[in-house]
Amino acid sequence: MTTRDLGYVALFAALIVALGIVPAIPLAGGVPITLQSLGVMLAGLILGPKRGALAAIVVIALVGLGLPVLAGGRGGLGVYAGPTAGFLFGWAPAAFVTGFLAMRLDRAETAAAARFAGLFGAGVAGSIALLYVCGIAWLAFVTKLGLSKAFFVSLPFVPGDLVKAAVAALVTIKVRDAFALDRK
Amino acid sequence: MFDEKTETRDEGGADATARPCQTIVFDGVGVERDGRRALDGVSLTLSERRIGVVGLNGSGKSTLLKAIVGLAPVSVGSLTVDGRDVAREARAVRAATGLLFQNPDDQIVFPIVADDLAFGLKNHGWSRAETGERVAAALARLGVEALARRRIHELSGGEKQLVALAGLLAIEPKTLLFDEPTSQLDLRNRNRFARLLHALPEQAIVVAHDLDLLVDFERVIVLEAGRVAFDGAAAAAIAFHRERSA
Amino acid sequence: MIEGLGGEGQSWFHRLPAGVKLIGLAALATALFLVEHRGALAGAAGLALAALVSTGLGFERIRRALTGPLFVIAAVGAVDWIFLDGRTAATVALRLSALAFLAQAVVATTTTEALSEVFERALGPFDRLGLIDAARASLALTLALRFVPLIVEEATAIREAQAARGLSNHPIAVIVPLVVRTLVRAERIADAIDARGFPPQKNSNSSR
Repeated sequence: MTTRDLGYVALFAALIVALGIVPAIPLAGGVPITLQSLGVMLAGLILGPKRGALAAIVVIALVGLGLPVLAGGRGGLGVYAGPTAGFLFGWAPAAFVTGFLAMRLDRAETAAAARFAGLFGAGVAGSIALLYVCGIAWLAFVTKLGLSKAFFVSLPFVPGDLVKAAVAALVTIKVRDAFALDRK
Repeated sequence: MFDEKTETRDEGGADATARPCQTIVFDGVGVERDGRRALDGVSLTLSERRIGVVGLNGSGKSTLLKAIVGLAPVSVGSLTVDGRDVAREARAVRAATGLLFQNPDDQIVFPIVADDLAFGLKNHGWSRAETGERVAAALARLGVEALARRRIHELSGGEKQLVALAGLLAIEPKTLLFDEPTSQLDLRNRNRFARLLHALPEQAIVVAHDLDLLVDFERVIVLEAGRVAFDGAAAAAIAFHRERSA
Repeated sequence: MIEGLGGEGQSWFHRLPAGVKLIGLAALATALFLVEHRGALAGAAGLALAALVSTGLGFERIRRALTGPLFVIAAVGAVDWIFLDGRTAATVALRLSALAFLAQAVVATTTTEALSEVFERALGPFDRLGLIDAARASLALTLALRFVPLIVEEATAIREAQAARGLSNHPIAVIVPLVVRTLVRAERIADAIDARGFPPQKNSNSSR
């Protein structure tokens, strides 16, 4: 890992934290949605699997060190022990898989629509499907709900996350047009 | 070395308190940046105490400074500092040569002032005990010892620049490289910086659009499109640059 | 910079070494998941709350710290009650409450500096095996904290600039420049870190 890689990882972690602090931008019919999980998607889509996952791990570590870096000023070991911890720890594999798929599905020379589809798909598979698997598995265990009921309880958050995946795909295309960076 | 430094503090006039200069040799240097030649066939031998570099945006001024500390890889030719190749012996070159970035926020790594100064010292292998002394001495040299425990985020632009400079002085470099040091300062801070620069006993290479900063320099180089267009006395070089930019 | 949640204080809980508190918390958390007896869990929650109160934090700080977690626990309990039964809901809510009280007691009485030291010590063995570079790992955490306020400021400035064009709430128009500036900043700070002699020489003697 070069010093540049270290810089990208650290600054993207800072970006993820900052997106939890800035006032939410109203998406999807005026409903404000916190942008922090958008930051995790972008870490995978823009930096690639390894650096994206490392950026997520930096944020997770800062939470453990007792810093209020999650949206709404949450942080501390209480989050590690809470029922939604799977949705936090899931950020690392989510960013990794999102980045891994983006590397394969996003080709600069293809049409914008195809690029959008690839990046959106990478976000949905990694940062929604896989993240929910991690989050729901822990939630089901802690609450004794069982997987299917825990899944049902988590469903209301899916539409917002789909909007975020679409925004993340569009942002990624524009950013990569302006700033050439190989994913790794 | 430490005592010699404290003795020289606050004394005006670069010549009175001269410290040894390094000799920086560019031999046919070419540097590629973003797919174009940022430096193209530059040959220079720099050993004066005060050297200015001027040129339009994109003329290669910042690249010249970055190349000296091995941040802009030399693709053609050779570049040495006191006989050390900047690519192969980057660590030794960086221990003796400090680069002050245009924006201090791009340079300060730690959230607390004293911790940031300690960063460079730790990298260059100073012990913990020595580090504490050197941090205090470097801040005192610039008259900002009161900032030691302050948070970077709460400092003004001028204070941040002094902290970034103190971070370089702490490792006691022979040469300081300044990239447009007055571009982010208000007039009072700019004048303060000009006096500080005048009094620094170290060798200094200063890239500037602020031509008044360079008037008493021994040598000023004009870069145009990555090449040396003029190299000589300050007054003549500044006149040349003014005429070409009209 | 961001303030840590934990502070300094004089209680016995404050004085316990951070490593002991972390290991204790992990052990107790694991134990809580092995216990199914509601009476025991209620006792544990009571003891954990007593431990939290004994830190001398004061009612107001404890209330503020626990409002969020207790809201989540109440929601989880309600869901369990609806989908499963009241007894399970009580078991789960008591266990999660005990966990939340204990974790909060550790968080509130341990400074971020003390936790960072434990973190670096825990990385030590991995560093010696060459699996993790501890110097880089701790630098990454520090750098992230250093740049959060700057990125927040930048986001605000971009929104203001876009507001002049009627785009302050346009997510793409705000986030794209923010991400690009973050990447540019990352390259510059990486250059500065290199120029300042990072990484430290591992085999150097104490004074270079």
